[in-house]
Amino acid sequence: MTDALSLLGGRAARRLSRLGALARFGFGALRAATQLTAAGRAVAIRIGVNQVRFTALHAVGLVTLLSGILSFLVISQATRELGRIGATDLIGTLIVVAIVRELGPLITALVVAGRSGTAIAAELATNQVLGEVRALEAMGIDPKQYLVLPRLAGSLVSMFTLLVVFDLVAVLAGYAATSLNGMSGGRYFDIVLTSLRARDVWLTVLKALAFGIIVGVVPSYFGLAVRRAPTEIPIAASRAVVSAIVGIFLCSALFVALG
Amino acid sequence: MFEHVLLGGHASHPFSLEIPAHHTVAVLGDEDSGVGLLGGYALGLDRPAAGRALAFDTDVGALPGPERLAFRRRVGYLPAGDGLLQNLSLRDNVALPLRFGSGASPREIEGRVNVMLTAVRLAAVGGLRPSQANEEERRRAALARAIAFDPTLLVLEQPFDGLTARVASELLELARGGESAEGARRTIFITGQEIPPLLLRRVEQVYRLTRAGMLEPETV
Repeated sequence: MTDALSLLGGRAARRLSRLGALARFGFGALRAATQLTAAGRAVAIRIGVNQVRFTALHAVGLVTLLSGILSFLVISQATRELGRIGATDLIGTLIVVAIVRELGPLITALVVAGRSGTAIAAELATNQVLGEVRALEAMGIDPKQYLVLPRLAGSLVSMFTLLVVFDLVAVLAGYAATSLNGMSGGRYFDIVLTSLRARDVWLTVLKALAFGIIVGVVPSYFGLAVRRAPTEIPIAASRAVVSAIVGIFLCSALFVALG
Repeated sequence: MFEHVLLGGHASHPFSLEIPAHHTVAVLGDEDSGVGLLGGYALGLDRPAAGRALAFDTDVGALPGPERLAFRRRVGYLPAGDGLLQNLSLRDNVALPLRFGSGASPREIEGRVNVMLTAVRLAAVGGLRPSQANEEERRRAALARAIAFDPTLLVLEQPFDGLTARVASELLELARGGESAEGARRTIFITGQEIPPLLLRRVEQVYRLTRAGMLEPETV
């Protein structure tokens, strides 16, 4: 019994310690942003733009597809079922709360974590294994400024951009679904706009910010935590994406609990 | 430069070594002697088990973060295995420290990079990624990057491994940066397992690090 408790306590302590290290790493990256020189900023922005191109631009198709199908299926079914009991006005709440506010940020973050989180962790782990991180430090370049900060900024910008795409496509797919079920466009948009409150917009924006930070920081942390063995690279990528997904779900649950 | 430094592992004797300005000094040793650690100590990338390593009378590793990074721009470093960034071309690798750490305009940086690439004979292949270049080209690019800020102190780790004596000699001359009244224009600290015999006449002091961590003058 004591052994089991000790084992459990040891695991919990290790996880808490890792959480602390992650938080320190994240704050370190933010502090590094305040110490960037003008020349360093120009280089970091260039890398950040490349990150946005990969994380956001290349994922627009996937996010559009997922958002369109999800919204179309949910709203089609809901229109039919709610129509039977004369409660089609609830479609607005369904679109705003369930899809735009809850599923939109969650699915977008999962897409970004799955695609770019893995890539960030693998890339930084490779940088570490090949001695590039050490070479950067030796050149007087802070790896947090050169490697982490642009990826964090890129993840944040990408999360916002993809979330806007997701929500726009979801609303339009909802319109297509309700049209096929006999609801006029005017009525549909009227219901959606009536259901939309400022609080929904702020919550969505805050979620994009929180998830963007998770997707930028967690994979960078795991990527740079490897030592010198190439076999650590896939392990780092796998740990990074799993931890990021767990973090996203926990954070989402926290938003619901506090909201 | 090294004061009572005790290397980890098998080493049991601390050693001290001073590298005079404008001299080229080499410390050679087997892989398990810990010779590969000395470059990292000099730049404050790692800390010795005991003692301290100084560059320009400064314990770089003890400096606070931003000062430490700024200080390292005064020291050129060619790491073992070149340390070039694989996602940048050779040209961009050479330009990176200048773009990130100097206040020079893009045009000035491009001009400086062109001069560096011509000096190391890489002007024609500057657009290649490190994975597309051969070992000699990668080493040339790493040296150009190390001297991008025209440092007065240069730390070279295994700089000549895998190179012909002619190329090694050429790179050492580039690293020395010409001659001054006191000797070479730059102070150079070389670590590695061996050094081509042809180069020994250009190296003022050669030491061998034993497994026990003792530094013994190499008899040439």
